[in-house]
Amino acid sequence: MVRARTVAKQVLSHLAMVCVCLCCSAQTTVSVTRSDVEAAYLYNFAKFVQWPEDKAAESQPFSICLLGEDEFGRRLDDLIANETFQGRRIVAKRFSSVAAAESCQIVFIGQSEEARLSKDLAALNTKHVLTVSDLPQFLERGGAIQFLFQNNRVRFAVNLAAAQQAGLTLSSELLKVAVFVEGTSAKEGVQ
Amino acid sequence: MKFPSRQRSIASNLTWMNLLVSGIALVLVYISYLAYTVFSIRSAAIESLSAEARVLGANSVSAIVFDDKASAEETLSALRYSGDVLDGEIYTQGGTLFAKYPASGPVPLPPHRMPEMPGPAHWANGADIVVGTRIVLQGKQIGTVYVHAHLEGIRQQALEFAAIAGGILLLCLGVALLVGSSFRRILAQPIISLAQTARMVSRYRDYSLRFTSERSFDELASLTDAFNEMLAEIQQQDRALEQAKVDLELRVEERTSQLQVANRELEAFSYTVAHDMRAPLQTIGNVCYLIMETERTESSEEEKHMVLQLRASVVSMSSMIDDLLNLSLSTSAPLRLTRLDLSSVAGSILQGLAEANPKRKFTPVVEQRCYVNADAGLMQIVLQNLLRNAWKFTSKTEGAQIEFGCTKRGADTVFYVRDNGAGFDQHLVDRLFKPFQRLHAASDFAGTGIGLATVQRIIRRHGGEVWAEGEVEKGATFYFTVDAPRS
Repeated sequence: MVRARTVAKQVLSHLAMVCVCLCCSAQTTVSVTRSDVEAAYLYNFAKFVQWPEDKAAESQPFSICLLGEDEFGRRLDDLIANETFQGRRIVAKRFSSVAAAESCQIVFIGQSEEARLSKDLAALNTKHVLTVSDLPQFLERGGAIQFLFQNNRVRFAVNLAAAQQAGLTLSSELLKVAVFVEGTSAKEGVQ
Repeated sequence: MKFPSRQRSIASNLTWMNLLVSGIALVLVYISYLAYTVFSIRSAAIESLSAEARVLGANSVSAIVFDDKASAEETLSALRYSGDVLDGEIYTQGGTLFAKYPASGPVPLPPHRMPEMPGPAHWANGADIVVGTRIVLQGKQIGTVYVHAHLEGIRQQALEFAAIAGGILLLCLGVALLVGSSFRRILAQPIISLAQTARMVSRYRDYSLRFTSERSFDELASLTDAFNEMLAEIQQQDRALEQAKVDLELRVEERTSQLQVANRELEAFSYTVAHDMRAPLQTIGNVCYLIMETERTESSEEEKHMVLQLRASVVSMSSMIDDLLNLSLSTSAPLRLTRLDLSSVAGSILQGLAEANPKRKFTPVVEQRCYVNADAGLMQIVLQNLLRNAWKFTSKTEGAQIEFGCTKRGADTVFYVRDNGAGFDQHLVDRLFKPFQRLHAASDFAGTGIGLATVQRIIRRHGGEVWAEGEVEKGATFYFTVDAPRS
């Protein structure tokens, strides 16, 4: 009896601890917005993707480009300020036409491009560009990575075929944390 | 089994020494092996745990970057294949717990597990080991992974090896006993028999014993040789001593008999002299008597006085000769023991003294029935000497009293002659019985100084003893016992 009571007490105290933790995390989500997280992810994707060798491109700064309406504002600039990637400076660029964005390494397609999405993707997929967006049906329409918002958390899904078509190699680490991976049965292999 | 000590034999001490040495060696080996085992197991475990932690860290990079706790916990769950691992944790760079294994249940956080730990490190506490390593992405630390293992194997190894060491110890015990028994034969047995020989020698004083050893070299052999040499030396000295003793005894015997012969000759000589002097003295005495008896008118008063003096000297010399003859007799005359009534002897002597000097007043006290088994003639001399002494030394005493009696002292009868006369100084009692020694001036009390010496000789010949007690002017008492054999 005493033992059972002790166990119950322990469980209670752990529950209390979990509650506190949840509160803490809730507080953090309040201060960190979805855009903040997406901006961070955008930058972090670079570390799990391998671009084909391109001497000309490698002498240029590593470009993260926003196509269409800017949803991040200063956040992205703050995040990548003073950051380098494989010895390259990282810069954020904003474009309204897809033609200008073709030299970027990562292109985030904003909500405003909804109507031109197919055209944009068709243009970008012939280049070595990692396309990212939070537009619905982005993967089905040929995008590489789509942000999802699940359980109050930012997640992402991957279209491996689209990435491969762009000549990009995605790290299995990235695929591991993706909600799902399209264009392959790789996700099922990772347990 | 008893602990080695000084009382135990050398053989068992040797056995114990063997056992002790091998035991200590084993314990040392056990301890060092255990330490080595624990150390090597621990360092191997640390090595493998560190590798595991690095792999886990590498595999959780994306999970941390993309905030995927489920993925991180799945990665950590691989720890279940590591038998010794108890738990594992991943912390983000900010120091908050990101994922843990097991996923459910509490996470122990020992104080040393600081999430801000800068580099790979490990902590060990007995069988408990914690390994921590950084999770790095593109050269930047993004978190830390910890793995906590409990190395059950270490304890098991220690127990197993303890069992093996115990077995070896038992084996060593057996071997030590065997070796000990062979040591007893080789080393201890000669020493033991050497000790036995030494004990025999000291107990029976038999220095002719020798210790034999079949071995002719090593320290033990030289010890036995030295022992035997010592014995030989002692034996030789013993013989010389014995010979010297025999020689000495022979010489003493020879000297004694020479002395006895000389003594006898001397006594015979003095006896003859004394005896032969008697006849002319008698003649002188008789002539004096005739001169005094013959009425000679022409002889003056002065002449008469001179003749009287001559006569007194003759009497004195005659008594001196008697005393000398008595002294001579006291040693040379054979003892003829009879039952004597000393009381009547003493009584008649005192009566004789009283009759010879009717003018002297004294009180004789004689205790009746004092019997003794002794030589009648010699006892007569003894009592005569003692009573005459008493008579002599009470001559100047008013109310003189001379007493003879006997008392019991244990089984012995002690006879005594007591007077209340001049007495003597008790300190000089030793001189009383020496011949020709006198305590009183001849002018006070006439005497030859050999009376008491004669008494002592006679009493000693009867196996008795004589002693005296006295005080100046308060009288003296002479005691004697006669311990003559019955037949």
